[in-house]
Amino acid sequence: MKSFYLVLVLSLFFVSKSYSNDIDAGNERFHKNCHNCHGRAGMGVASYPKVSGLDSSYIVDRLNRYRSGEKIGANSGLMIMMAKKLSDEEIDVLAAYLSSIN
Amino acid sequence: MNIKSKLTILVAIIFSLSFGLTKISYSDGHGGGMAVPKIEVTTVLEGMKNPWDMAFTNDGKAMFFTEKLDGLSVLIGGKVHKLIGMKGSSGYDQTADDLFSYGAQEGMLGVVLDSDFDNNRILYLYSTSNKYHGDGCKTNFERCDGNIVMKWTVAKNMKSLSNRVDIVKDIQFKPYASDQPFGGPGAHNGGRIRIGPDGYLWVGTGDRHRGICPQDNTLICGVVLRIDGDGNGHGGNKIAADKRIYTYGHRNVQGIDFRPSDGRAFTAEHGPWHNDEITMLVNGGNGGWDPAEKRGGRSACPDQYCGYEPNQMDGMDPAVRAAYTPMSDTRFDDLMPPAWQNNGYSQGTGSAAFLKGANWGIYEGRLATGIMGIAFGDTPAGSRIDIVDIADNGLSVKSVIHMPMGMSNRYRGLVLGPDGALYVSTDEGGIYKVTASH
Repeated sequence: MKSFYLVLVLSLFFVSKSYSNDIDAGNERFHKNCHNCHGRAGMGVASYPKVSGLDSSYIVDRLNRYRSGEKIGANSGLMIMMAKKLSDEEIDVLAAYLSSIN
Repeated sequence: MNIKSKLTILVAIIFSLSFGLTKISYSDGHGGGMAVPKIEVTTVLEGMKNPWDMAFTNDGKAMFFTEKLDGLSVLIGGKVHKLIGMKGSSGYDQTADDLFSYGAQEGMLGVVLDSDFDNNRILYLYSTSNKYHGDGCKTNFERCDGNIVMKWTVAKNMKSLSNRVDIVKDIQFKPYASDQPFGGPGAHNGGRIRIGPDGYLWVGTGDRHRGICPQDNTLICGVVLRIDGDGNGHGGNKIAADKRIYTYGHRNVQGIDFRPSDGRAFTAEHGPWHNDEITMLVNGGNGGWDPAEKRGGRSACPDQYCGYEPNQMDGMDPAVRAAYTPMSDTRFDDLMPPAWQNNGYSQGTGSAAFLKGANWGIYEGRLATGIMGIAFGDTPAGSRIDIVDIADNGLSVKSVIHMPMGMSNRYRGLVLGPDGALYVSTDEGGIYKVTASH
């Protein structure tokens, strides 16, 4: 039983550590160019929407749909162009970061 | 010390006391023989909804400012008083339900005080309005009178406005989404208004994503107006089709100011993924923007607008776009060549203001120009304020350097205050004061 708890704690630790790394990587990726339109911390500026605090599955879904060329809203042309360059990993870490902040 | 210098110092002290400024950055690049000023940036206000433009009383005691998504307010005695709110706003002394914003590019934009404000109390205000839609605005391909310039009278205590008169009612507006990047309704309204050295009101407008607009001149879109306080054209304006128009062929005029040395008008314009521009205006001149389809060797374009072609949904070399739909098309004999273009890029030119006063040292007389920062394709974002030294003939620049702001923001509105400081609004919600000394 002791070994079970040890594995559980270690698993939680590594999952937590991995998630934290994703957030850091997402922060770095977001501030590479996404922040130019969506603002610092994703709060939204001008006609660009707030993207912080959204559910991570929603962000992953939207970025995947933009990447596939689907039009969603008036600024689709811009988002399709930006999302085309994103890898699966970049989408995941962006979702982790944006869902972690408000 | 002469009277003017004493007055400037007094006004600066009043500003500091009135606004309770907080220093946020400081850059000391001066020293040696050249009069390179020390630049200091302090916070005036933060937490606003897209502050867009500012206007100051001559004594520096009051700063009027617009929030694009909300309304017009005034900062006086360290307190903000909300004056005119748009539909859906709250906390204002009064609201005008015909004034609206979808939350995109449209809304309450430019503000300026009359040159005789101390006596007549008149304030001019540019906003989106649905009051004059009439039978128009049913599609994107017809007349839509949806941006206006209002004239208001400001109360002696600055805390209320009255006597609204709409002096320009027919600035064109985009009512529906279209098949373009940034394709939502309300695109390209211009909106900057300034008083020229001759006391006339200058109004910058945008092409509202309608291809025929900038070269048309029977519609008020993609033009700069020079009008009096009642909305009548200046007698010397040379465009016969509409005597209110000073220049035409513009895309989206975001900045207007007047060179101190000779009073010449300059505009700062936001380019279409290529070539942000600064242009010296010539009465009756053509900015050279013509996004109409089936002209200049072009074929049909999405929703009759070639402004982002030939490949509007993908990144491509800005020079290829520039060749297809130029910002300054040399087909036109009356073209006003730009003094400056942004190394082929569009990074989003905001407002512009000439730096006046000896406190600016070697920057005195140069044009401070806000660049908001837009990174599409392989264009670097480039949020900054450029200090542009324009040649005397207005057809080139002698140098461009960056204002050492110590922060990066989308610089939307630039106005020189009566204290000789540059005031800057940002899309992030702040208004900052940039002082220079040496």
